[in-house]
Amino acid sequence: MAKLNFEFRKKLDAIIDGDHHNYCYQCGACVADCPAARYSTDFNPRKIMLQALLGQEDVLIGGDSVIWLCTNCYTCYERCPQDVRPIEVIIALKNLTTEARRSPEVLDQIRGSVRETGRTVAWSALVDRRRQELGLEKIKPAPVDEIQKLLDLT
Amino acid sequence: MRYAPFYGCMISLKYPQFEAAVRKTAPPLGMELVDLEGFTCCPDPIYFKAGDKLVWLSIAARNLCIAEEAGLDLVTMCSGCTATLSEARHLLEEDPGLKEEVNRRLAKVGKEYRGEVSVRHIVTVLRDDVGLDRVAASVTRPLENLVAAIHYGCHLLKPSKVMRVDDPNQPTILEDLVRAIGATPVQHGENLLCCGKACMSDEIPAEMTRDILDQIESVNADCMALICPTCFDEFDLGQLRLSKRFDRKFHIPILYYFQLLGLAQGLGARDVGLQFHKIKTDPVLEKLGVAAA
Repeated sequence: MAKLNFEFRKKLDAIIDGDHHNYCYQCGACVADCPAARYSTDFNPRKIMLQALLGQEDVLIGGDSVIWLCTNCYTCYERCPQDVRPIEVIIALKNLTTEARRSPEVLDQIRGSVRETGRTVAWSALVDRRRQELGLEKIKPAPVDEIQKLLDLT
Repeated sequence: MRYAPFYGCMISLKYPQFEAAVRKTAPPLGMELVDLEGFTCCPDPIYFKAGDKLVWLSIAARNLCIAEEAGLDLVTMCSGCTATLSEARHLLEEDPGLKEEVNRRLAKVGKEYRGEVSVRHIVTVLRDDVGLDRVAASVTRPLENLVAAIHYGCHLLKPSKVMRVDDPNQPTILEDLVRAIGATPVQHGENLLCCGKACMSDEIPAEMTRDILDQIESVNADCMALICPTCFDEFDLGQLRLSKRFDRKFHIPILYYFQLLGLAQGLGARDVGLQFHKIKTDPVLEKLGVAAA
């Protein structure tokens, strides 16, 4: 019989909407219209919620976890009769993965870009040329000092 | 009708043609877009949010504060920005403890979130404030004979209790807006399927976009009409990738709704930046009798 890992569940509960996994009664409404589940036999939001309830830390926030296949479409949030918000629980699991330094590299790149420029898309001379051609003003710098403060707060 | 436009990173820095199309089509609709200083990334609801939800929420709340200080509602043009800012607003309303924590953080940058601002995707402004009749009245060159397959994308509609835009199972808002400019919207079997962009796999998004494009081809649409720059990326540049991957030619022109509106209001192809699209829009322009980009 599986042993519950309450400590991991508590960590999940502490993240925004992570506590909603507790409402799951495993009906499977989230699976029916899930595009990732339709295209991949590995991905199943009902199963991910069960693993969260069991506190299966290694499976969920390991480097090869299936949570990264989620398309972020919010259909599960829409369908769930229990307000579990499976997508939000999955994002909370991604936060825990990041905390454990096991997230894909792209997350660091995006965070770095926001820290340095306040934006996720890098400025380029090409975009200024295109903007000029379209009659638009040049891009103004964003207030990165304020963003850095918000990024560094604990 | 005054609003604070929030163009976001993808539109300002990657697809400025969408910003140009919005700026040029707004005046004939009676919309005044008041540019505010100090916005940053919304921030991104996929990768940034996956790092740390609380920081994501704080930065989103900071953006909301800027509109709040100006006393204007935010109008978004990107479904990702719409998702982040609408959800942030919803979370802060739903959980007073969370609002307190976020305000404790915002105090460090001299801001306070009060919750007095609305976040609206610009298509809802067209439907609810401008009105379909006025959209139609702004048209000088109706897009007659143009058949457009609608792609809704996910974040305009879901979660519906947060977005409050339309019925997520049977939406009509984009069909109505396409009809208002004289074109014919066409339904297809995958019109509500996700573009797959956020899924971290090579295979899955490729199969999803292929299936959507196959459906569009099967109903003989002239183009796809959409309202999200991320979906655009997946379908415009994406078709080049798909052609390689599946060894067949994908060539369906992809247009942002406001580019179509611009053409209908008499603007030229270059005015709305069609020259920057990877998939040539010439067949659409030819059908409309507009000079190529």
